[in-house]
Amino acid sequence: MAGSDLFVGTLDVLILKAVSWGPTHGYAIGRWIRQTTNDGLQVQEGALYPALHRLERKGLLEESWGVSETGREAKYYKLTPAGRRQLRAEAARWRQYADSVTLALDAAEK
Amino acid sequence: MKKLFRLSVGERGVRRDVSSEIGFHIEMRTRELVDAGVPPDEARSQAVATFGDVGAVEAACRDERRKHVRERAWREELDSVVHDIRFAVRTLGRSPGFTATVLLTLALGIGANSAIFSMVNGVLLRRLPYANADRIVIVQHPVASLGIEDAGFSPPEVSDFAQARSIDAIAEYHSMSFDLLGHGDPRRVQTGVVSADFFQVLGVKPLLGRAFTVGEDQDGAAPVLILSYRFWVNELGADSSIVGKTFTMNDRQHVVVGVLPPLPSYPDQNDVFMPISSCPFRARPFMKTTRTARMVSMVARARPGTPAATVGRDMAAIESRSHAAYPDAYKGLSDAAITATPLRSAMTESARPAFLLLLAVAGLVLLIACANVTHLTLARHLRRQRELAIRAALGAGRGRLLRQLITESLLLSLGGAALGLLVARTGIGAMSSLAARFTARASDIVLDWHVVLFTLGVAVVTGLVFGIIPAFVDSTDLVSRLRDGSATSSGAKLRLRSALVVGEVALAFVVLVSAGLTLRNLAKLINTNPGYDPQNVVTAHVDLNWTKYKNSPAVRQFASELMAGLEASNGVRSVAIASAFPASSSSPQNRNPFEVRGQLVADTLRRPKAEVTYISPDYFRTIGAELRGGRSFTESDRDTAAAVAIISESAAKRYFAAGDAVGRQITFDNGKRWLTVIGVVGDVRQFGPTADVAEQLYLPFAIFTVRDVRLLARTNVTPAVATNLIRQTVRAIDPEQPVVDIQTLEQARRNSMASPRLTTVLLGLFAVVALAIAAAGLGGVMAYSVGQRTQEFGIRMALGAERSSILRLVLGQGIRLAIVGLLIGGLASRALAHAIEKQLYGIRGTDPLTYAGVAILFVSVAALACLVPARRATAVDPVSAFKAS
Repeated sequence: MAGSDLFVGTLDVLILKAVSWGPTHGYAIGRWIRQTTNDGLQVQEGALYPALHRLERKGLLEESWGVSETGREAKYYKLTPAGRRQLRAEAARWRQYADSVTLALDAAEK
Repeated sequence: MKKLFRLSVGERGVRRDVSSEIGFHIEMRTRELVDAGVPPDEARSQAVATFGDVGAVEAACRDERRKHVRERAWREELDSVVHDIRFAVRTLGRSPGFTATVLLTLALGIGANSAIFSMVNGVLLRRLPYANADRIVIVQHPVASLGIEDAGFSPPEVSDFAQARSIDAIAEYHSMSFDLLGHGDPRRVQTGVVSADFFQVLGVKPLLGRAFTVGEDQDGAAPVLILSYRFWVNELGADSSIVGKTFTMNDRQHVVVGVLPPLPSYPDQNDVFMPISSCPFRARPFMKTTRTARMVSMVARARPGTPAATVGRDMAAIESRSHAAYPDAYKGLSDAAITATPLRSAMTESARPAFLLLLAVAGLVLLIACANVTHLTLARHLRRQRELAIRAALGAGRGRLLRQLITESLLLSLGGAALGLLVARTGIGAMSSLAARFTARASDIVLDWHVVLFTLGVAVVTGLVFGIIPAFVDSTDLVSRLRDGSATSSGAKLRLRSALVVGEVALAFVVLVSAGLTLRNLAKLINTNPGYDPQNVVTAHVDLNWTKYKNSPAVRQFASELMAGLEASNGVRSVAIASAFPASSSSPQNRNPFEVRGQLVADTLRRPKAEVTYISPDYFRTIGAELRGGRSFTESDRDTAAAVAIISESAAKRYFAAGDAVGRQITFDNGKRWLTVIGVVGDVRQFGPTADVAEQLYLPFAIFTVRDVRLLARTNVTPAVATNLIRQTVRAIDPEQPVVDIQTLEQARRNSMASPRLTTVLLGLFAVVALAIAAAGLGGVMAYSVGQRTQEFGIRMALGAERSSILRLVLGQGIRLAIVGLLIGGLASRALAHAIEKQLYGIRGTDPLTYAGVAILFVSVAALACLVPARRATAVDPVSAFKAS
């Protein structure tokens, strides 16, 4: 995985966020992550899929098959209630973590 | 966007889904690149490149996917089991009558088995707490002609047997009682006297301290003591600092070196153990060299893999070499044998047949319970036909329905088992105290996890049996039921249920007959004329300390003071001292060959034999035995030169012509001393009612004085008061003299019947349960049959049939079923008669009175059980019967 380090669990929380507005297929999830982070995280696209399957197995995502905007059959993911709870918890945890680190880095010299 | 659920479960589906998903990604990416102006052929390879290793990603996805499928299948399975259980609980809750009946029936059926299994497990199956248990053999020296089970061995003989090649170790043992002083009151302790390696041979590691060490059993070794667990806990409050403390025994200081773990009371219930060098009797110098000084037992450890029989043969060969080498030492022992018994058999042999019989009968009770629950379930299914049919119509497959039914029955059987364990738990205390009288392992009768596991196994099998049989019968006509929704093939089902009931009655008959036989047997034992009057006599064991009462005059002095003191007490009618009393032991203790003057027999084996008891003059008056001729002993019968004897009636008949015994002379020592027979006394059951009448000789205690005596007192007062009198009188004469084993003559007699008593009590309980279940089954079938024939009865009554004839019709049908069952049960009982006969003393296994009694009882109970449904049949209203159809 090139680029800046992806903190453990970061990809999971981004995926959960990406599908939080409704059923989304893998490609759209990847595109959303790329665009919203300005390619800052540089997730290798392939790494997304095992993560999606893992989240599905854990019961955080639910799959459904539908026809995409291009007319091709595609696999869609959506949040389960457990997934939504997980997203909320992870987001809060992430923010608190980021705030703490930011505070420390911005601290004035002693 | 059309949603469709598809979690593909097959491997092919998994592959297809994953590659389609990733293919879609590549395609979308390519398209995006093309839209951004990349040439199409370049766009695709760029899309693949940004994706990464397609193959690796697909493989990772497939792995996740497969895991997902597996986990999901498990969850679904679990969910459906939980659902089945919830549903079963709800359905069973809706028919509380059925549920309660089944639970009760199973609790009794399974509980009986758990209880008996806990006995079998504790006594027969549990590992013995000896590391070398499987290799330990008990070597004995029976002499058939003397009726002696073990003549014992002398130390020189033990040394001979130690050479046997089939063993790798041998230890000697005997047990005596001594006074133990120090740490509280003086105590009379039963003492195991052993060679130093005794505990190593058995494979016992002391709980505290150490075992005896090499040399501690040699002359001059410092006296040491090892305490039994029971003695240490009960008498010394489990004092953890006991090792190193001292006790005085036989006027010597003994240091405690160890405490044993809990062990079975085998061969005796010893309080403490000491090495042979500390035993004042065993340590006498002549013991080392005198081949006839047979006072010890032998325990040998067979070489690994060597059966006990081989050890026996080996030792018998050594024995016959000794017979040839030392003929003088084996006079009168020419028919002595050597037996080697594995430790486990030696400890459990006496209990085994009774326990196995009980286990078998408990199994029958469970079968009866099973049959009854099966047909209760059948009846219930009939009531649920519509429900089951609807569920089948709604798409529940046959397998699914079957699983639901089996879930219900398993739930019931497990519930029954839990209640059954409670039943067993309540019974275990009583059982182990009864069993304690005939097996050393009674304290091992506990509800441990073996018993729980056994119960669980029984419950599962039971649940499957009564779950599957009715379900199988039902599923055959599930389809026809669907078609018309009415009760179908009820005729076939009635036949099946009738067969079940006949089976129940037959099995219950077998159970009742076995209970009846043991009951009659016990009654016969109780009613056996014992030849003495066991009422109002208290006995006590007074074993005088040999260091204090060194010679016979001292013992006689103590005895006469004791008797005089008691006789002077209020409420005491007569007092005696004797070396034994009726039922004080269950086998000969002192059987001796003798000769009659004028009828000398050279071969000791062919001489007349009798059990010899030493008694004070009032012995017969005290126990209530009747003099048949001549006179009893008096105070003046103390002249050693003109010794006298009294003979029992059966011995007099056997060895003398009628009425000829009195005045004749006998000798025990080849004529060195002659004793004149002065009286004949009626036979008493010396070894309890289960043993045959023994030929007996009584000799005066005043001449033949022993230290280990029994005191007997016939009183007008309660046993508790008499016990106090005895204790007080002994204390007044010698405050250091312990008095043990105080019991009434009646208690001793009852104790000698402990085994038949336990069997009778348990079989009696089983019989009650079996009868109740079978009667309930019969009543149930009749009720069902009456329900089926309501219409028929209505027609009959409309055509003018009397109510009494309907009553007779139904009763007749029920009793016919019962009689078929009785006939089958009778044949089965006859076939099994020999198995139970081993437990019977006075009656045969085919005792007609028992069979007839049980049959009459059964027919009456069957009639009663059918009366309720029969009365309902007579109450049928013809009009409504027609309307209902």
